[in-house]
Amino acid sequence: MSSHKRIPRVGVGGPVGSGKTILIEVIVPILAKKGYKVGIISNDVVSREDADRMRKNLATEQGLMPEDLVVGLATGGCPHTAVREDPSMNLAAVEEMESKHPYLDLILIESGGDNITTTFSPALADYFIYIIDVSSGDKYPRKRGLGIETADLLVINKIDLAPAIGADLKIMERDAKIVRPNKPYVFVNCKTGQGAKEVADHIMHDVLFEQTPKAVAKK
Amino acid sequence: MSTDISDLGMLQISDSFFPTGMYTMSNGLEALFYSKRKMTFEELRDLIKVFVEYQIGPADCTALGNAYESASKGDLKSVIAVDRTIHAMKLVKEIRSASTRSGTQMLRCVNYFITDNKIINDYAAAIKAGEAHGSYPVALALACNAMSIPKRKAGLALLYSFSMSMVGAALRLGMFQHFDGQRIINELKPSIAHAIDAFIDRPLEGMWQFCPQLDIVQISHEKMSSKMFIT
Repeated sequence: MSSHKRIPRVGVGGPVGSGKTILIEVIVPILAKKGYKVGIISNDVVSREDADRMRKNLATEQGLMPEDLVVGLATGGCPHTAVREDPSMNLAAVEEMESKHPYLDLILIESGGDNITTTFSPALADYFIYIIDVSSGDKYPRKRGLGIETADLLVINKIDLAPAIGADLKIMERDAKIVRPNKPYVFVNCKTGQGAKEVADHIMHDVLFEQTPKAVAKK
Repeated sequence: MSTDISDLGMLQISDSFFPTGMYTMSNGLEALFYSKRKMTFEELRDLIKVFVEYQIGPADCTALGNAYESASKGDLKSVIAVDRTIHAMKLVKEIRSASTRSGTQMLRCVNYFITDNKIINDYAAAIKAGEAHGSYPVALALACNAMSIPKRKAGLALLYSFSMSMVGAALRLGMFQHFDGQRIINELKPSIAHAIDAFIDRPLEGMWQFCPQLDIVQISHEKMSSKMFIT
């Protein structure tokens, strides 16, 4: 059971290969530069590869966090169940992290790769980012699905591939506005970091409410 | 004869939709599956039977029975003693951790709609204070006690949920088709009933478990680099 104050949590969901892991990898350094301490829980369907990769990149190589702040979680083959219908194991992992690291400003929870109906339980995530990518075609936003429609922020990744596969970003933008009236969307290229600052800005504004990082406030 | 509302409580708590995260556990089945050894229908049924008769029955079911009795008397000290004993008896780290994670989450869920049960609140406080672990059979015992589910039915809920989670894992691993899963559950019923009779009333000092081969399989799951289940 938790005996600590709840740390804001952001869920990151999206189809397999859409760029959930790399999105986290480009956001965390921006948040770290601002002084925010971040923990990561990565759900993976059949391996701990994403968690291992983020741990190596963000903790071991960049030194942005202790290695135990990247936790990998297996989901019994049910990625959406693990973050929505029965998020027990994620909640337990989050609470363990909150209790061991109360100084954290934010916990990012990456869902396992899934289909367009993924959403996060409000008990697990306070804010939900759904990421899709251009390479699946410019029809993606208008296909709707709970993830695309209800996410707090829609991220459209791999915009550099649009010309190569004949996807029209203007169509994607138009449809994103139609299926998500008055809700934000961001075009990104996580490989180059293009658009990552805008995603981080949304988190700092909408989730952290521009508050001073705990570590900075304490000084 | 009027309908007993506690029966609904038992259905609620045994349902796979009740959030305890048990669907993420294979209890070593995944390691067996990836050892490339083809398992027959009968072998899977017998494997679950071994769990019921030599591990979950004599250990978890006995823990549940003792925790239930202690909860009925409002004896927190004894509840914590059961919690610590069953925690110490779980030899494999993944299994120990999974039990406390699902136990604490079950307790939190029950505590969400039963807020005034003293023993649940005190046990939750003990977990927060680091004095108890929140092991699953103890959490389930307290939850059933609070919902007026009789002890033996609480034991049935424990063993049924465990068996169902094993069958669910087998189905998701593609080992059998869904009708086979129901046939296994049906054929396990006598073993489950027998385990309740044999273990639910045993004293704490009579709690035991012995399946070293399964312990080794579960340890080998811990060492797998790529896996779908947490146990």
